[in-house]
Amino acid sequence: MSKKGVISKALLLAVLLLVLASGLALPSCQTARSVPRGWSGVSVIDEALFLGSMEGKLVAIDGSTQQRLWPDVPFEQKQSGGFGCAQGTQAVAIYGTPAVTFELVYLTGYNGKAYAVNMETGALRWVYPREDELDPIVGGPAVLGDRVYFGSSNGKLYALDAATGDKLWEFESGDKIWGTPAVNGQTLYIGSFDKKLYALNVADGSLKWQFETEGAIVATPLVYDGAVYFGSFDRHLYALNEADGSLRWKYQADNWFWSRPLANDGIIYAGSVDGKVHALKTESGEVVAVFDLESPISASPVLAGGDVIVAAETGQVYSLSINPRQKKSLVNLEDEIYAPLATSDGVIYIHSADDVLYAVDARSGATLWSLELESE
Amino acid sequence: MIGEIWDLIILSPMINILIVVSGALFNNFGLSIIVLTLIVRGVTIPLTLKQLRSTKALQELQPKMSELQKKYGKDKQKLAQEQMRLYKESGINPAGCLLPMLVQLPIWIALFQSIIRVLAVVPEDFLKLSGHLYSSWPQVFSLVPLNSRFLWLDLAVPDRYLLLPILVGGSMWLQQKMTTPKTGDPRQQAQAQMMLWVMPLMFAFLTLQFPSGLALYWVVSNLISIGLQYFITGGWGGLTAQAATKPAGADRKYIKRLTTAEEKEIDYADTEADIGADVGADIASADVATKEGARYQPSLRAMKRHPKKSKRPKRR
Repeated sequence: MSKKGVISKALLLAVLLLVLASGLALPSCQTARSVPRGWSGVSVIDEALFLGSMEGKLVAIDGSTQQRLWPDVPFEQKQSGGFGCAQGTQAVAIYGTPAVTFELVYLTGYNGKAYAVNMETGALRWVYPREDELDPIVGGPAVLGDRVYFGSSNGKLYALDAATGDKLWEFESGDKIWGTPAVNGQTLYIGSFDKKLYALNVADGSLKWQFETEGAIVATPLVYDGAVYFGSFDRHLYALNEADGSLRWKYQADNWFWSRPLANDGIIYAGSVDGKVHALKTESGEVVAVFDLESPISASPVLAGGDVIVAAETGQVYSLSINPRQKKSLVNLEDEIYAPLATSDGVIYIHSADDVLYAVDARSGATLWSLELESE
Repeated sequence: MIGEIWDLIILSPMINILIVVSGALFNNFGLSIIVLTLIVRGVTIPLTLKQLRSTKALQELQPKMSELQKKYGKDKQKLAQEQMRLYKESGINPAGCLLPMLVQLPIWIALFQSIIRVLAVVPEDFLKLSGHLYSSWPQVFSLVPLNSRFLWLDLAVPDRYLLLPILVGGSMWLQQKMTTPKTGDPRQQAQAQMMLWVMPLMFAFLTLQFPSGLALYWVVSNLISIGLQYFITGGWGGLTAQAATKPAGADRKYIKRLTTAEEKEIDYADTEADIGADVGADIASADVATKEGARYQPSLRAMKRHPKKSKRPKRR
């Protein structure tokens, strides 16, 4: 082989190498990073289901007929025209579960905007902020009374007028906020990547108390029977006194707590990405049972018919009970599940990572219906 | 299956090490990436040295290449044969220069995957991080997500000020320029020029697309290469007109060490009688050149094989 041939081969190898490297993740006109897709859960009001699709649309479905209540409402953001790329738009990833009142549906987007949509017509009522955008919003909105609350990756928690979208106050934490706020009475609870759980006055956003853990907090807190329960990335589940934020107890698992826990009849159920659901006494943190699902759990569970329904990331859905203590496999959807579960009238609604909405009978595990949300 | 092995052997160790080092360095992920670069370049130093020797040898073969060009310029086939023979005798594999880069490719991929997981930008990626954390290293759970700020950079996204692409391209150009052999053949010169510009431009372009953290690795790695080349191969190489042909102190030490080692292996030399007379002439030429101190010839392997022949007078 001539030197020219050798050099040509070397050059070819180099180019191949670079093509391989660039092939890591380079969708057209995107920088090399994963594309956020979202994992919105479902909100149920009577027979109406509301959720954000992975195409960045607010979808409203009549649960009894599986028909759309109104045409999907698309949310788009400007796509910067990168190197050699024209400017355009792309779908907004929706991670938060929509919050619903009797008039409006509230939605937060990864594009850093919050929206309010008319529940009857799907018409946009307001958007916040009107100009520009915040940092990505991963948590969902929480609505209580005439206010809507949500946190942003810019570390701030916002309180807006639910009817107009005007900002009432904001509270700044030390790092990103990815969780959904929990509101109970006059107090709002929110965790932050700065490892703290904050208790704020809903009236003005002033700090009531704060509690620092050893890890970031993404999980939405649960307020139950005078205590606040939440998990942290330090692998602990915490129980704090609601009044002053003092520690009641903490319990260590093997990995992060990502999802919101659930309480029933004096027992708290917390799914961890260690693949187990930890059932503990709410008063003492004493272990009642540990259910091993053998797959990470990031979707918040629901209570249906006295049983705890929980989904593993692999798509396997279980029904757990303490008396008698059993782990019953309901259904395997064979589709990854990250979105929080929802329930109404004995039916479990599950939004899968393939953008399919499943309705599963909570008792038998039968799939009542499924609907692909992706537009044709 | 392959994915699991990849995670177990490369990705998970890298993620945990990056996190722990970051924690030890004031929660600074940029410093952690620089330390990773130093570790990787340290581990691959034998390959780098081999590459540098190959590059140096290639540079110093150029005068002989030019001689061959003059001698067999019209007979392309014969010229190619003689050139290949020269490479073989010198123990040079021109494609060997790419090996250190190829070895680093998995590191680039793993670093890219690590960055998108530990910096908590896209939730899906960040959630996957939990599966990589070592449960026996409790500190890693407290340290994530890592801080993405470093100097003017957000390590999770490309540099919006475009300084990093310039640094990546510039440092790579400098490194390539130092190793580009000078040749009298205009065609080879054109190819060398193309190589000199294609790689830096491609990496500068990739820097516009990839997270800054990965580009930071490239810049630091290039700077290490430039430093190694300067101190080991002697001077600025192709950046200056003369430097390429003069052995530096470190290089002379290397030659001396190699020659000493070779002398111990001299005895079997004559058993390899398959090298032709032309080679003998080349070696003689090398010997003379070294004695003259004007340049040292890289045909050390050939000298090792034929130490006695190398003492023959130069044949014209």
